[in-house]
Parts: sequence; structure tokens; C-alpha cells
Amino acid sequence: MPKQEFDVLIVGSGHSGGITASVLTQKGISCLMLDAGPEVNLATNRATKNPWELPYRGMNKPGRLPHVVQANEFNANQWVDEKEVPYTHDPATPYNWCRVRLIGGRSLFWGRQSFRMSDWEFKSLDKEGVGENWPVTHAELDPFYSRVEGIFRVSGRKEGKPHFPDGNFLDADYGPDSATVKKITEIAQGRGYLVSKIRAANGRNGQASSMNLLLPDAVATGKLQIVPNAIVRELTVDKNTGLVNGANFVDRHSKQELHVKARVVVLAAGSLESVRLLMNSGLANSSGMLGRYIIDQLYGVQVVASVPEARGGNAAEGLMGGTALLPRFRNLQKGEKNNFSKGYGMMIASGGAAQPGFFQDYGESLQKKLDLHAGACMTASIYGERLPRYENHVRLNKMVKDAWGIPVLHVEVKDSANEHNMAKDAADTAEDMLKAAGWDILSKTDKFHPPGYSIHEVGGARMGDDPKKSVLNKWNQTHDVKNLFQVDGGCFVTCGWQNTTLTMMALAMRSAEYLAEQMKSGAI
Amino acid sequence: MQAIAAAPAVPAIVTPALVTQQNLQAQAAPARPAGPLAAGKRDAIGEPVAHFFSAAQLAALHKLCELLMPPMNGNPGAIEAGVPEFLDFLVGQAPAERQQMYKGGLDLLNSRSTAKFGKAFAALEATQADAIIRPLFVLNPWQFELPKEPGARFMAAAHDDIRVATRNSREWTQAAIAAGRRPVGAQLYFFPVDPVYKG
Repeated sequence: MPKQEFDVLIVGSGHSGGITASVLTQKGISCLMLDAGPEVNLATNRATKNPWELPYRGMNKPGRLPHVVQANEFNANQWVDEKEVPYTHDPATPYNWCRVRLIGGRSLFWGRQSFRMSDWEFKSLDKEGVGENWPVTHAELDPFYSRVEGIFRVSGRKEGKPHFPDGNFLDADYGPDSATVKKITEIAQGRGYLVSKIRAANGRNGQASSMNLLLPDAVATGKLQIVPNAIVRELTVDKNTGLVNGANFVDRHSKQELHVKARVVVLAAGSLESVRLLMNSGLANSSGMLGRYIIDQLYGVQVVASVPEARGGNAAEGLMGGTALLPRFRNLQKGEKNNFSKGYGMMIASGGAAQPGFFQDYGESLQKKLDLHAGACMTASIYGERLPRYENHVRLNKMVKDAWGIPVLHVEVKDSANEHNMAKDAADTAEDMLKAAGWDILSKTDKFHPPGYSIHEVGGARMGDDPKKSVLNKWNQTHDVKNLFQVDGGCFVTCGWQNTTLTMMALAMRSAEYLAEQMKSGAI
Repeated sequence: MQAIAAAPAVPAIVTPALVTQQNLQAQAAPARPAGPLAAGKRDAIGEPVAHFFSAAQLAALHKLCELLMPPMNGNPGAIEAGVPEFLDFLVGQAPAERQQMYKGGLDLLNSRSTAKFGKAFAALEATQADAIIRPLFVLNPWQFELPKEPGARFMAAAHDDIRVATRNSREWTQAAIAAGRRPVGAQLYFFPVDPVYKG
């Protein structure tokens, strides 16, 4: 029986796959979306439980998800089972790859912080002499950012600063700043730092996912079919034209192999999964850059101070609470001298608690200290930008295969002096500002999590104008195969300090518009 | 047949077999209580049986639990929350490295106690025990990595486990409710979704 040939096969159903499906189907283009995971119903697949009702008192089965620091017994089932889909790395250089295989992908669980990237990221080489320039500017992406912000109902406060571009925001009600937030704001502004507020996707009905904001409308056009539990093993190629013509996929349950035909393939499986699929297909690597320049953001640096007048539960009304966001403030000026490139954003939260590890104590004596500082803490943490480096890469490890017999990735990503110097500067700067406010430092660490922890892994198929130095062109189209696109974070050239999702979606929308035009004109 | 036909949920076409079965169920079933049938809680009816640690190690763990997390502010302590036996179960399920860290740490408490006071850690007075364990506490602002020195490493891990296991216990929740406080720790649990078919 002849099977249907689809206009476009989209691999992955998260934010970038959802945007692609949304744009293409509204233009009448038939799409098939394959996702490696099942469909989830957030109303029935979740229930409130006490920790003691779970087998391990909420502490999770030891060793179950060794790379997912964020995992606990409540959320363990949302993450990819590392035994089913392993990856390898040198034990001395850990990499925390945190994956979700469900319809909607990581969009079901993301933190919703939604910052635009600026030309300090897009034109990093021109502005700072670091890395490469992207083949796009903020001005080119601006209309797509605005449309995505509208769909996801992003709220924010406009600042009018080019390194922290404003957007199509809903008004945000941050409420009045507490006295401690006002104080740290004055100190930061006195040093010339911009102090702003979180910009966040509000979504609808408590969700801001592909599953509720993108896919339903696409399905309603009658032009989108979504198939769950379909694990794509490799893309297939027409030997006469060199173009991709579909994909071989494996049913997650039966392990039966099937083939599907499509005129165009768009990969949106997540940066590293899409790269893995290209490598397993032997495609898009004439530059030798596939899998190179893996980046993500540096998280974990933290300084905690205690506000004397708030201790012992004695905080007056309006003293504690709220947050201040300091967008990147380092290396924005020409000639600024630091022992690291790029920079970091900083979040300072008012009203937190001390941790037991802050004290060399135990029992009642420790508890008295914890009680004393409860609600009286100011916590500074950072969003640091790691540098893109050629040697930070992934490659296939054909000696290890997943539960469906597909070779896995070996990840080789290390930090350098730049990341360590940046972390030290951030910890020192936070300590200095908190002390200047008259607060007592309880804890300071310039340590940070291994690469991957931020769950903002990007790169591996970076975009560029030069086919010898990049995998994708400025439309997220592979240089090598004109009907093959990758629209997740794999295209990123630098990672910025900003959360990556908004930029990923803006790029995916722009790419889908281009693809639709190309298909309409017959160029693809 | 008349009673079945009057019920709103009956399918349009009712097979004789279905009619018979439903009639039988309707006649035989007693009134069902509200809520789930199997609402009992294992922690409420069973005593855990420890089997991973040796008797000496378990005794040291009991003592450590008494010291690190005693009853405070109307909350139960680690002993009341059954933490030693729970950790015997939890560590018994853990990777070998963590098992060895725990066993080595508990053995260390006993060997240092014997060397210094001539008796096992479990038999020490509070001030004696303090002399054994306090040197093992180190400042640990980076909570995601345990200290490298084996004794400090064990103490940091055990301290965290004992505190969390106590706060996450049924006894802690019950004490909060009894005192009119809002219980903490309840969260949305994400059920397994469509696990891989095993045949």
C-alpha cells in the first residue's frame, strides 16, 4: 500500500518544532511531526503527594539519574532514562545532559525566563573580538522576537538599553520593591550597572509549552500529524539528487523499523540529539564543524548574606522580598580590562534561607542558626556565558548503543580559565555589593556546575555565511543539503548569558517563513 | 432487564452476557466506601527491618541520628521518624561507592570512639560524641559536591540525608498537622508515562 509523502518532516515537538509546525501548517504545508516520546496529559499524569508516600521518601532511587542534578523523586519520570539512552564522557570532565522525551519536550517544564539576545552576542567578534559573528543581527530578528513574545505572552519592564533589548511585552506587575531590593539596586546603579526585572513567558492556563500554545492550532489546520514514540534512527537520502527524502524510525514499544517519506526535513530534537541524528545519517558535515563549539551557560556561583534587622523573624513589613536582575555588565565598554571575556547576568533575591552547609554545626545549635537567618537572607547567583571553543565537541560512540540500537554520543566539553576567572569575578562582585549594603556574608562560592547543567546546551551545528566554518546558513538550512534544516539550539554561535528559548523560537519562526517561501517558489 | 434499561449509562445495544454480568454485580456488590479501597499506608502499619548495615554500624547510625536531628520545636527527631532504618534501606539500594562511604564512615566513628574512650560510638555521652564528630564538620557552601576527605565526606552526606529523611517522614507531617501548622514537602508527583512495553 503506498504511503503518504509529507511536505515536511519535523523531528521533535518542543518549542522550536512547535513553532515550525505552527508557521508551516498555517501556510497550507502538510507536516508530519515525529517525537521519540509519548504524549503526556498534565492533568492526569500528575498528582500531589507527600514525600513519605513515595518509595524513597522523595529522595529518589540512588543512582537513578546521576547526571540530572535537578531530578528528585517527584519529577524523576519526566527525564530521559539514562540507562535507556545513555551517553559517554571522560569521568574527569563530566557533562550533565538533561533530556525530556515527551510530546512538548522540555517546553513542558522550562523556567520561562525570556530575554532577547543582543548584538553583543550576535556580533561578538566585531564588538569584543571573541568567537565568530552570527549571520544575523538583533534588528533582523526583532519582528520574529515580537511575534513569539506575543504568542507566549512575555511580560517585562522596558529599559531602552541595546545590550538588553526590549520586546513586545505585557505589562508586568512586580509590585513595589522591598527596602532590601531598593538598597542593592542603589548600590549596583552606583557602579553603573543596569538593574532590571525578570522577563517571563506567562503562557495560558498555567502552561507556556509547545503543547498548549503551538501544536493545537497547527493540528486544527488539518495539516499536521503528530506521531509519538517514533525514534528517528537516520535520515534517508535520494542517491540521485543528494537530497534527504525521509527518515527511518523505530517504534519505541515494538522496536519495529519504519520509513517515512518527506520533501523536506526539519530537525528540532534538541541541539545534541539533532547533531547525533545528523552524525548517524552521515550528513551535513563537509565543514568538519558538526558537533563542534558546544556551549551552555555557567550556573552555580552563589553568595548569601544575612540582613541583621531581618533576623529572628523580625523583618518589618516591606523590608524583605522580591528580586533584582542585573543584565550583563562586564566587558560592554571598549577598553574595559578584565581577566576574562564576555560576562554574566546576576540575580539577587531577597528573603531566602541559610543552608546547613553554611555552618560547622549540628542538632539544636544548628537549627537555632537556621531559624535565626530564615527569611533574612539575600542570595546572589549568576547566569554566566561560556566561550565557544572548537575543542568542545560531541562525537558518535559506536561502541555504545541506546535501547533501540542507535549509537550514542560521546561528549567532550571542558571549562577553561575564562570560565573560572569569570566565576571568581562574579562571586567577588556579589560579595562586595552585599557587604556594601551592610549585610553579613554567610556563604560565598565561586564553584559552578559542570557543562550542561543549565539545560541551555547549544551549538554543535553553528550557523554562518562560510560553509567551511559552519554547518547551517543564516536560515538554519544546512549548507550541504538544501532541503535539510535544523531549528533548535544547535545553530547558536555564542550562547550569551540569556536563557536561550526565546531566541531559539525566533530563529525557528524566521527559518520556517523562509522555508515556506522557498517551497512556494519551487526552490525547494 | 428493566433496571438496566433505566440506567443512563447503558450502551444502545446490550448483549445478553453483559446484562447478566451487570445484574449480578448490581445485586451482589455491597455499598462502596467513598475514596480508594486500598488507602492504607505502609509507613503507618509496618516496622522497617534493617539488613544492610552491621549491628555495630546500625548502632552508630542510631547515635548519629539522635545527635544530628533530635526532636526540636515540636517536630519529631530522626529516631522518631525511623530514619536509621530508612537509611539502611536507602543506602542498601545505592551505588557501591556510596555504600562504602557510609560503612566506612560509621566504622570510623566506632574506631575513633574505641581509641579515644574505650567504647563504641553508640555508648558515648553527648560531650564525648561531640569530640568525635565535630572535627568531621566542614563548611560546605557548595552543596552539590561532597568534601574530599573521607570522614568529612561521610558526615556531609549523612547529615543531609538524616535531615531530609526526617523532614520528609510521615511523622513530621503528622506533627505539623497536630500542631496546626501547614505540612511542608508535598509536591506534584509525575507518574511514569507510557513505559516501554515489555510484552
